[in-house]
Amino acid sequence: MSEPFGRVAASEPLGRVVATERRPNTPHEFHFWTAISSPVGIGTIVRVDGANPVDGQIPRIYGVVVEGFSYTDLQSPMHDVIGHDGSPASAGFSATERAEIRLYTAAVLRQIPEEPLQPVPMGEVFLSGEEDVAVALRMDGYLKEGARTGIPIGVYRAGATDSVIYLDADFLLGPEAAHLNISGMSGLATKTSAVEWLLASVFAHFPESKGSIAAVCFNVKGPDLCYLDQPGHLEESDRALYEKMGVKPGPFENVRYFAPYNAKGFGLNTLRSNEALLDNITPLTWGLREVLQYAEVLLNKDDIDAKADALIDFIRERVVDRQFDKDPYLSREHTVQSFGDLEEWFRDLLRGLEGKNSESWRTHHIATIRKVRNRLSNISTRCAGLVTDSGAVSDLPFGSFDDRAVYVVDVATLEEDAQDLIFARIVTKLREHLERRDLGVKNLIVFVDELNKYAPGDGQDTYVRKMLLDIAERGRYLGLVLFSAQQFRSQVHRRVVGNSGTALFGRMDADELATPGYSILSLATRTKLATLEKGQLMVRHPHFTQPIFVRFPRPAVMQGRDGAERYPQSAEISLDTALYRALRTLDRGVSFAWVKDMVALYDEPELLRARNATLLRKPDDVKTFFEAQLRRVIPSQSAAFNSGAAATGAMPVRSLPLGDPYES
Amino acid sequence: MRLTSIDGAGVDRWPGSAHEARRFIGDRVPQCSDVEGLTHESDRYGRADEPPALVEPAVTEGRVFRSIAVADPRTVRGTSGFSAFLDGTQNIEIVSQLYGIPFVWGTVAAAVRLRVNRRLVAWPKVAPSVRRRYYIPFRYVDDLLPVLLNDARVVDTAKADSSGAFPSKHPAALMERAVQKVQEDRELLERELAEAWCAMEAGVLYVDGSITSSSTVSRSTNAVGVIKTHRRLYAGGDAFRVLVGMARGERTSVFSVAPRSRHPVSSWYLRVRSAAGRDALFGLVRVEAAECEDMTNRADEISRWILAEGAPLALPDGRWDKMAYGIRDTEEFLRAIS
Repeated sequence: MSEPFGRVAASEPLGRVVATERRPNTPHEFHFWTAISSPVGIGTIVRVDGANPVDGQIPRIYGVVVEGFSYTDLQSPMHDVIGHDGSPASAGFSATERAEIRLYTAAVLRQIPEEPLQPVPMGEVFLSGEEDVAVALRMDGYLKEGARTGIPIGVYRAGATDSVIYLDADFLLGPEAAHLNISGMSGLATKTSAVEWLLASVFAHFPESKGSIAAVCFNVKGPDLCYLDQPGHLEESDRALYEKMGVKPGPFENVRYFAPYNAKGFGLNTLRSNEALLDNITPLTWGLREVLQYAEVLLNKDDIDAKADALIDFIRERVVDRQFDKDPYLSREHTVQSFGDLEEWFRDLLRGLEGKNSESWRTHHIATIRKVRNRLSNISTRCAGLVTDSGAVSDLPFGSFDDRAVYVVDVATLEEDAQDLIFARIVTKLREHLERRDLGVKNLIVFVDELNKYAPGDGQDTYVRKMLLDIAERGRYLGLVLFSAQQFRSQVHRRVVGNSGTALFGRMDADELATPGYSILSLATRTKLATLEKGQLMVRHPHFTQPIFVRFPRPAVMQGRDGAERYPQSAEISLDTALYRALRTLDRGVSFAWVKDMVALYDEPELLRARNATLLRKPDDVKTFFEAQLRRVIPSQSAAFNSGAAATGAMPVRSLPLGDPYES
Repeated sequence: MRLTSIDGAGVDRWPGSAHEARRFIGDRVPQCSDVEGLTHESDRYGRADEPPALVEPAVTEGRVFRSIAVADPRTVRGTSGFSAFLDGTQNIEIVSQLYGIPFVWGTVAAAVRLRVNRRLVAWPKVAPSVRRRYYIPFRYVDDLLPVLLNDARVVDTAKADSSGAFPSKHPAALMERAVQKVQEDRELLERELAEAWCAMEAGVLYVDGSITSSSTVSRSTNAVGVIKTHRRLYAGGDAFRVLVGMARGERTSVFSVAPRSRHPVSSWYLRVRSAAGRDALFGLVRVEAAECEDMTNRADEISRWILAEGAPLALPDGRWDKMAYGIRDTEEFLRAIS
């Protein structure tokens, strides 16, 4: 016989099913009582062994505790007051404690046999062991040897049970279902940590049969995702969890960062600008053509009426990257390849219109032309650092994505317009490449935080929201999977969260829990959600008929705050320092004295253009290539080089000089 | 479930509830008619209790019957030395009748509840007892099946008493006799458990009711009887004024109680709750304990234990002023299993 109020051994029943006429059991819910000291709590998974066979089989019912009640035989609080003479202190000296009950309500996870589906019978209740948990959550279906598609999300703990909970890759990353959404309070829900951990788990356990996988993460705030390639601090308990779940406790091995330049163009606009971390960070710069494709992102509805839209379309199709001549209103030929060229074209055209006192050009009214000029010219100012006047393009490696690589695009410190532009263009390009099956990987996870901002449930329709909806609804067919996070799920567009097959919840705000979307959860479950510790999550997954609580380890990467302290952001730097740091990432032989000589000889825009071209090309001989980009602006050298192989030094940056040793 | 099959040796399955008992007897005595929901209520058919009486106490502690303070009325709660509680319950129901003759179904139960870490659990050494029986006046029921006549679980309530007189056919008289038989059965169960406790345990048992029915228990220091009803009040003469004037935390002098055909014990009254503004017997219990050499100290000690059992309250039981919570718990336990 067990101790009357002691711990219950695993093989012993810890409770008994009870049902009354007022509170009956149903096929989806049952009630049971336990000893006062039993290890049952909200979220505990239990097993009921029925007493009588159904169709020759003893029924087994698995359930998760969703509500708990405790009461004594006291009928009125007044009786307790009288019993202790109104003195709470004397209550502790009572010889006997009142009879007390722990009564729990459990939601059914699974019944075996599944047919006929009957109300839960009376029976003994046991704490679920590891095998029980696998059956209860239907994980047995996707953990079979040879057809294993389980991705560990965390560990379920209750009593002595320590069971790994797996998500089904077919339902997390497609094609059956896809997408993951995580909600929780800022700072306490550990949303970013959860995603970092889950990415590591996906990379470790993604089935080989499903091909390659990579992730693109948009770092939208602070330094959260800036140190994924740096090791973080782990406790022994974390290491044990990593071992149990078969994930290597280390940082990501292949991480590449992308960030635009700051407005001056000297340094990169990222919190990861410390010199020691510049090796795997690539500038993100786009030219006129790249931006015009997504002009809709940057122009609001007032800007792009039908007339303006028609003119932008004309410019995109007929002006950009073409020789534009034989126009009576233009004073010369134009080849528009950059914002600077476009501004020249607009200026020439407007001058021509004014000179001939004309109000329209090719059906476009002069007011529309002025308006479009104003808006487009403004883009390079609003997105300074990202959009270059010169038209130089430095982009993600579309077409050559690596398996198990993480590409982080840091937009945390950018203006909202620039963030939207980056997001829209990158996601569109990813989708296009995945449709053509030429991205370099077969499956891609896109992580976007702050979904409240990018895909709000209300407000006007934006390009970014439309794109997120498109990923959520069609992405799984392409292998494009959205991992998204936000503080308030209720304020995110319903179709985005609704299409997320898997949902994670960290600690939630009580106000958020009071919204209708959470009414399906019991009051106790909501209370637990409001008090979850860091490292705990509630998981909803297509195979789980009820939400399950799990623990996950700290991510094995350096946390944003730690990284920001260890690798402080570079202060505002001078031009020579900027050039030195940038070129040193390609060639450690570049000296500061050499850079200073260059700065003394050439002006700032030329130097920056040369730097950008060098970083883009990544030549073997950095100094020679860099100098080659500058030659055309040195008048005194033009005569000396006239007969030489490098006489073409004045060629545009995009072209290499004749006889250049790096020409290929 | 139809309980109609009877083999030669007896009944295949004994009823477990009044509902089953009604069907069971209906199948075997077809002429009788069912009676629904008629439980034994006091004074409906008369009472089996003895009439109220005032008796002169045989004082054994000192020469006069007086009140003695055993605890400060403001801080009466101390430590209790009781290890367990014993109580019994009875349930009486008329399930059918045959030409006005009541067929009574009685359920008696008794249990000891052990206190472990301030919580009460079933005493593991001896399981609680539950007995279910028919109480039928054989004399007034013709052609009762032999299988019932010979079954020990069918009690004849029309046997002659010690004077040789049979009860009349008056339903109230038959009912009174049935109630008396049921009470005897309950007392028997309680006595068996109390004796088992005294034989097996070293702790002190709080017995709800008198301990004078058993010679073993009445002589054991391991059992204390606490009586809540006072049909017979040991306070004749001047003692009555002493008794009704007792304050909370006071007891009377010890006196001897030796009922006829029972066993002598030492006894005293104890006021466990103040009777100010209440009737004279409010919060008054009579305690029975085995006689011993230092009865004064023993009575003080036991009185303090009983006072310590005053919390938690036994409400909503109507006898909460005199009842210990452990007894209420035992009654609830018996209600659950019987």
